Amino acid sequence: MARRPARAVLLVPLLLLALIAGGCGERAGSGAPVTLVFKHAKILGPADPLPGLLRRFEARHPGVRVQSEALTWSSDEQHQFYVINLEGGSPPFDVMMLDVIWVPEFARAGWILDLTPFVPAAERDAHFPTAIEPAVQSGRLWALPWFMNVGLLYYRRDLLAKYGFTPPETYEALAAQVRRIRAGEGDPRLDGYLWQGKQYEGGMVNVLEALWANGARLLDEVGRPFPDRERARESLAFLRGLIESGVSPAWVTAADEELTRRPFGDGRAIFLRNWPYALDLFELPDSRVRGKVGVAPLPRLRHGPVGAASTGGAHLAVSARTRHQALAVDLARFLTSKAAQRAMTEGAALRPSRPSLYQDAALVARDPSLPALLGLMEKGHPRPITPYYLMLSTTLQPEFSAVLVGRKSPDRAIRDGTAQVEHLLRAITP
Amino acid sequence: MTDRRLAWILLAPALAVLGGLTVYPALWVLWLSLQYRVPVFSISRWAGLEHYAFLAVDTRFWNAAWVTGVFTVCSVALECALGLALALGLRGQYRGRRVALALLLLAWALPSVVTAKMFEWLYHPAGGLVNFLVGGRTINWLGDPDLALPALIAADVWRATPFVTLLCFARLLTIPADLYEAAQVDGAAGLQAFARITWPLVRPILLVALLFRTLDALRAFDIMFVLTGGGPAGATETLTVYAYRALFQTMQMGFGSAIGVVVFAFVMVVAVAYLWVINRQDQTA
Repeated sequence: MARRPARAVLLVPLLLLALIAGGCGERAGSGAPVTLVFKHAKILGPADPLPGLLRRFEARHPGVRVQSEALTWSSDEQHQFYVINLEGGSPPFDVMMLDVIWVPEFARAGWILDLTPFVPAAERDAHFPTAIEPAVQSGRLWALPWFMNVGLLYYRRDLLAKYGFTPPETYEALAAQVRRIRAGEGDPRLDGYLWQGKQYEGGMVNVLEALWANGARLLDEVGRPFPDRERARESLAFLRGLIESGVSPAWVTAADEELTRRPFGDGRAIFLRNWPYALDLFELPDSRVRGKVGVAPLPRLRHGPVGAASTGGAHLAVSARTRHQALAVDLARFLTSKAAQRAMTEGAALRPSRPSLYQDAALVARDPSLPALLGLMEKGHPRPITPYYLMLSTTLQPEFSAVLVGRKSPDRAIRDGTAQVEHLLRAITP
Repeated sequence: MTDRRLAWILLAPALAVLGGLTVYPALWVLWLSLQYRVPVFSISRWAGLEHYAFLAVDTRFWNAAWVTGVFTVCSVALECALGLALALGLRGQYRGRRVALALLLLAWALPSVVTAKMFEWLYHPAGGLVNFLVGGRTINWLGDPDLALPALIAADVWRATPFVTLLCFARLLTIPADLYEAAQVDGAAGLQAFARITWPLVRPILLVALLFRTLDALRAFDIMFVLTGGGPAGATETLTVYAYRALFQTMQMGFGSAIGVVVFAFVMVVAVAYLWVINRQDQTA
């Protein structure tokens, strides 16, 4: 007999337990203290501003205590935690931090509160449209942006200057610069362009960016996959070509953000696609590339625009089952307010979702890259905004990965991917 | 008869716990696997055997079954062979034996997620220790569909071999030395002594190790999930990873449960087969 049942078997009773255990919590009687539970990922960075912010919120609401509970670090596990608890009825939390791609899914499932009546238009408009759009489903607002992410092209300022180059606007130019610089440097350990090609959500992001860079989309308005087949084929062929031509090392097919950030930070690459967090690490006092790194918009392919980068980030949503609706909404609004986002930007080195903070003199003095990021955040693309985004991504990842490692032609991957996505959609349309 | 009844009464709590922990969830998953359940889209309807019919023609499922089989057979065979060899080597060592055992235990005691993260860096093509050791080449261990599975098997062997070593070593320590002395008097030494004394005495415990390792390998999850996410091109997607993705990422509770049922059936078949072999040995021994 096995010592413990298989993982899948174990998780189902958990769902059931959640069903049974649902509905135990404290009642907020008159004058009794109220506890709000806030679930969020661990805030990394130099100084965690969250405890201070929560104390400030409590000071404004006497008799209210906010209990902040950190989730596990991996995004997959966070998603699993939410699904198990929300599916089971009364979740043991009121406010939750969500990855932006889950918002439509959770809204569709009826797990989170419609915030439209609580959030004035002015407050909504103070955020980037690219941050608000993914939180809107069927014309209602389901979550508030907490912080924001966008894909960037990092480049070695010193190396480009040495050969008289400016940051490339097209991928063709990028490849030409890589060849020229590597020939000139004669260093076999110097890689050209690093990006994330592992079979995971980040790999999906990189493929989407290649599609957008060529003016292709993953879904059309009615949700059919690969509307611009020829352009999508070119994008996939281009990514594979980066590896075949040696512009990118073959190992990007197993690389995530950190595995690419470190070699670049060790001075072993010319270009890197990554999120803004890497910049802070490159500028640390003991960094080998300190003062040598520039950021630019992602280049384009033949049919697309420059800077068609994926946005990402975190939103705050309120559980539909909370017993303290007004208070929970207040907490979400407070944490996404201008003052709170300023504190988060200062303390945790996260990028705000409010354009006004990118020109805030005090913040810019601390982080000179903010103004440059402003335009990129505005131009960024959200990943497809649909309740079945995760299904789509999980289904297509092996197909795209097969193209990157040369197992499948772009054509065949698009054909197989389309067939699988259509099969999936048939299963979820009643 | 009353003794019998008493026995049942005394066994009842244990049986109830076992039933609640294993039989009930298994039945629940079986029940789920016969339905379309997609909570996000509020879908809940009867499916009968349709999920299983789809699995029969699902290339992703057959690929996952193949990967699971290859991973299990290769890693378990290597772990048992290496584990026994290490145990035999340790037996002859008196100095440093404790240190060696402690180090072995450490590898076994590390959570598999930690091991996986560690190997992610060891395998890093640019500057990872593994490539440094093979002469500074940039071998694409985790990004090449032909190398990714062997790389995962190696990581699993590193982690789980100590478990086999400890079991075998404990057994070796209990073999009386005079058996070997007697054998030497009779002119049997070296290989012959191993074949006639050591092997028959170690074999039952090795079978137990084999059983545990096989069941663990069939359900391996952390190592591929962290290191490759099932990639590249699905080359390392095991049945458990596929089930996890179906259950928690595409939220198809019914379909995911069907994969879970298949994994469960595999595990049961293997476990029963092993137990049958072990029992038969006990009767002949």
